[in-house]
Amino acid sequence: MMTSGSAPQLSLDPDDRLLIIGAGLAGYHTARGARLNGHQGQITILGAEHRLAYDRPALSKAYLTGAVSEDDLALDDPDQPLDAQWVPGADVIALSAVPLGVHTLTGEFWAADAVVIATGAGARTLPQTNPDDEVARPYLLRSMDDAAALRATCLQGLGVAVVGGGFLALEAAATCTQRGAESVTVIAGEQHPGATRLGTPVGRALRSVHEAHGVRFASAARAVSVTSTTAGHTVHLADGSAVAADVAILACGAVPATGWLQGGPLHLSPAGAVLCDDFGATGIAGVWAAGDCAEWASQSKGLRPVGHWQEALEQAAVVAAHLTGAEPQPMQEPYFWSDQYDLRLQGAGRIAAADEVRVLEGSAETGDLLISYLRGGTEVGILGFNRLREVKRWRKQHQIRKAQTVAA
Amino acid sequence: MSLRVCSIDDLTPGEGLRIDAVSPPIAVFLTEDGEVYCLDDTCSHQDASLASGWVEDCRVECPLHESTFHLATGQVDQPPAKRSVRAHQAQVLDGEVYVELSTAEPVLPPGVRVP
Repeated sequence: MMTSGSAPQLSLDPDDRLLIIGAGLAGYHTARGARLNGHQGQITILGAEHRLAYDRPALSKAYLTGAVSEDDLALDDPDQPLDAQWVPGADVIALSAVPLGVHTLTGEFWAADAVVIATGAGARTLPQTNPDDEVARPYLLRSMDDAAALRATCLQGLGVAVVGGGFLALEAAATCTQRGAESVTVIAGEQHPGATRLGTPVGRALRSVHEAHGVRFASAARAVSVTSTTAGHTVHLADGSAVAADVAILACGAVPATGWLQGGPLHLSPAGAVLCDDFGATGIAGVWAAGDCAEWASQSKGLRPVGHWQEALEQAAVVAAHLTGAEPQPMQEPYFWSDQYDLRLQGAGRIAAADEVRVLEGSAETGDLLISYLRGGTEVGILGFNRLREVKRWRKQHQIRKAQTVAA
Repeated sequence: MSLRVCSIDDLTPGEGLRIDAVSPPIAVFLTEDGEVYCLDDTCSHQDASLASGWVEDCRVECPLHESTFHLATGQVDQPPAKRSVRAHQAQVLDGEVYVELSTAEPVLPPGVRVP
């Protein structure tokens, strides 16, 4: 539910300069939304990577199997390219409130009339017991470079350890299995991956699906560190056990990419996220934030999830609307999806708020599990395995239309 | 030449039906108004069956994301899909649905090929 409040800041004048820091999903869609809403002024997008905006979900799935290419993941439409100045490889080091803009490592100052921070998140890593060993590091799966490195590694005959129990880790485990790894061990940090967030029936189902494909699960203890040498990796768990592997993949969470904002004028959460109201305003005039680097008020309160693709997309649209004085689309019920083997999981609604998890139909074995989440007896969320029609219908039936929010 | 793909009784108002006998698969839609339309079944963005999508205002919304396709033309409205899908001429004769398949090249998502 959107928290109420008055629109925080005046929108841009038509020829004002919009500066977007971050060339990911939120950055791209903020720019695109501003243009669609009629913004005429210059839009500049500073990206840390040396490539144009791309879509990340496939990095642990179709890109990793080789089914799709880098070009396939481009967010911008080559037939209708966004009218914006793209600056790849920009190393932004500080935000300035007055005058408004950002400084880069190369000594440039990018002045702007509005700044949108959309720098995303980086991979959370584990302490390395031998951090000086540059030869063999665990793989990460945040950027295309990360995924390209793993994709270039032949897994035939190798043992793979995947640290993490979320969808990124499980997708990586599925992909490595499909790519011929000799063994894949998931260190999920819980007995049934996802059970804490999605309920035990879902955690059990996910585990059984992966086990049916030969994936093994380490003990329920959390991974605490990793030792890497040219001979391989050893992941150490909190219960004293260890998992040895030829290839290690860290997919155990994300941290906001906001190191450059530390000590600056913005309020950051303890985890480093840029704190915003539910319009994406940071409290500093002309500075907004969206996507995985940000934590909006309803996210801080636990009412909305953090780190979802859909969340970044919708936040970008809200910020773009406020920047341009357009009527914002209301935020919808949270939504996520995941592809693992021949299963497509989709979840929607206030799953974190549920006090009851009910299996409506189907099973993991038959690949058609349908789960209802309830709070106080009222359905607040849904999750399906290969239940595209049901999940879409639920989302549309719970869609908040513009007129409703005006009336609210 | 028209192809009989299903009976009108096989269709549910407001829903799509995937027809696997055609390659790539097609989706036949019956709107709440009783109109029958036919599109390629696979979203042009990612491998998802449009027959499982949401039908409203002569458009179908992909079940995976928020791109919608016009039932009569296949035209897409918004990302993440960028390309329209093929529309096929559909007509109902004596309760049977006939489809005239488009001769255009199918627009399949990256990584998906005609089997």
